Amino acid sequence: MKTIMIVEDEKTIRDELKELLETSGYKVIVLSQFDNLLEDVLNSKFDLLLLDINLPNINGEFLLREFRKVSNLPVIMVTSRVKETDEVLSMSYGADDYITKPYNPTILLLRIANIFKRMENNRNSSYYDGIKVYQNKGILEKKDQVLDLTKNEMIIFSLLLRNRGNIVTRDALMTELWNNEEYVNENALTVNISRLRAKLEEFGIHNAIETRKGQGYKLL
Amino acid sequence: MKFSKYLIDKYIEILFVLFGYILILMMLFAFKVPSEVTIGITIVFLIVCFSVLLTGYLKRRRFYNYLIHSVEKLDKKYLVLEMLNKPSFYDGEILYEVLYEINKSMNENIKKYEMRLADFKEYVELWIHEIKLPIASLTLMNHNQKNKVNKKYEEQIRRIDDYVDQILYFVRSENAEKDYLIKEVDLKKIINTVAMRNKDDLLTKNIRFLVEVEDVMVLTDSKWCGFIINQIVSNSIKYTRDDVDRFIKLTVEESLKQIHLHIYDNGIGIPSKDIRRVFDKTFTGENGRNRSKSTGMGLYIVKKLCEKLGHKIRVESVQNEYTDVIISFSKNDFYKIKD
Repeated sequence: MKTIMIVEDEKTIRDELKELLETSGYKVIVLSQFDNLLEDVLNSKFDLLLLDINLPNINGEFLLREFRKVSNLPVIMVTSRVKETDEVLSMSYGADDYITKPYNPTILLLRIANIFKRMENNRNSSYYDGIKVYQNKGILEKKDQVLDLTKNEMIIFSLLLRNRGNIVTRDALMTELWNNEEYVNENALTVNISRLRAKLEEFGIHNAIETRKGQGYKLL
Repeated sequence: MKFSKYLIDKYIEILFVLFGYILILMMLFAFKVPSEVTIGITIVFLIVCFSVLLTGYLKRRRFYNYLIHSVEKLDKKYLVLEMLNKPSFYDGEILYEVLYEINKSMNENIKKYEMRLADFKEYVELWIHEIKLPIASLTLMNHNQKNKVNKKYEEQIRRIDDYVDQILYFVRSENAEKDYLIKEVDLKKIINTVAMRNKDDLLTKNIRFLVEVEDVMVLTDSKWCGFIINQIVSNSIKYTRDDVDRFIKLTVEESLKQIHLHIYDNGIGIPSKDIRRVFDKTFTGENGRNRSKSTGMGLYIVKKLCEKLGHKIRVESVQNEYTDVIISFSKNDFYKIKD
C-alpha cells in the first residue's frame, strides 16, 4: 500500500484530503505541527508528498528545493495561488505536478495514480491474468493472439484494470476519458463499454466486466 | 500669441505713456522749443516705447508659443512642465513655479490613489487566495460524503469558483502591473483544463464538445488563456438552442503570422445590433436580459486580458444559427521562452 504525506495547514482540507485518500486505498500521514517541517518531512517514510505552497513560517517552494537536495520521491504542489510564475517556479524546483485549489478530487486521484504508474513501470505494460496489456500500443496479447482496442476502449480497460475487483463509477470513467482528451458523452461511453465487452468476449475473456446498476462497473 | 492682442492687453501702460507724451508735448510748446526738436524727441520716444513693447512681447511669445505648441503635441498633457525651460521674465517665472507646484501636488495625489489601488488589488488577491480554501474544503467534503456524491452541490461550488476567478482576473486586467508570463504552451492542454472544468455541464446539457486541435503551441500565459477560453465556453453552454443537436467545436487555423483558435457553437447567436458591443463593460444585450442574469463583465474582462497578452479577439455570429469567437495568437519569435 502506498503512503502519501500531506503537508497542508488548513485543517478542514487536511482532514477531508486524508479521508479522500484513505477511501481510495492509500495510507496517509499528516503533519499538524509545522515548526520543524523540513526535518519532519525528511524523517518520515512515504511514497508521495502533497505539499501546500503557503505554509506558516515557511514557503512550500523553499521546502521543495531543500527536499529535492536529498530525495527524489514524487511531489505534487497544491496551492490556491493562480499564477503562472508559481507553477513555473515549482516545476523548476522539481515538482512532479502542480494543482490549484479547488481541485476536482477525481482529478487529484488520477494524477496521483498516474505518478505511481509512471514510477512503477516505464514499460507501460501490465498483466490481466495471463494476458499482457500494452497501454501505449493499445493491444492485449495472449500467447500469439493479439486484440486491438481503440483509444477509448483502452482507457476504460486500463482504469478498470487498475481498480480490479472494485467498482468504478461511470463518473470516474468519464473523468478519465475527458482527462485523456476524449470528450465523449454518456451514450458514447455506454457504446464503448459494450464494444469493449464484445471484443473481450471474442478474445475469450467471458463476462469480464460486471455492471452494477446505479453504481458503475467492475472488472472481475 | 498675437501682437495686436498683446497691445490691447497693454492698453493701460500705453495710455500712461500717451499721457506722458502729451504732457511733454505741452511742456515743449510752453517753452517754445523749435519744432525740429519736438519731432526728434517724438521719434526717439516712439522708438523707445515700441522697443520696450516689442521686447516684452517677443520674450513672452517665445515662451507661450512653445507652451501652447507643447500642450497640443503632447499625448499626456500634464507632462508639459518637463518640456519647458524656466522663462526669463517675472510673470512667466511665477507661472512656471505655480505649474510646478500644481504638478507636484497632482503627482502626490495620483500616487496616493495608485497606492490605494495597489493595496486594494493586493487585498483582493489575498482574499481570493483565502476564499479558495473553503471552496476547496467544500469540494472535498462533498466528494467524501458517504451517500452518493451530489452533482448539484458540485455544480454550485464550481459556479462560486468561476465567479471568484472573474474578480481575480478583473483586478489583474485593470492593473498596470505585469503579472503574467508568456511562454510556449500546448493549446490542447489548456483546452483540456477548460473541458474538465465544464465536463458536467456539457454532459447534463447534452452538448457535444468537439476538439480538432492537434499539437499546437501558442505563446500565452496558460492560466490567463485558460480563463479566457473558459469564459467563452461557459457562454456557449449558457446560450444554447433547444431544437438542434448542440455542439461546441474548437478548431485551429494558421496564417502566416498568427494562429487562430475558433470556438464555434450552434447556439442562439447574437443579434446583429448587439454584436459590436459584446466586449463593452457591463453590456448585457438582448440575450443577457432574456436568459439568466448576466453581469456583462465576462467578455469585457476577456477582451482586456487579450489586449494585455497581445491576442486579438473577435466574434462572428448569426442570430439563431451560430456564434464563432476567434482568438488570434501571434507567432512572434520574440516571445519564445523555453522552460
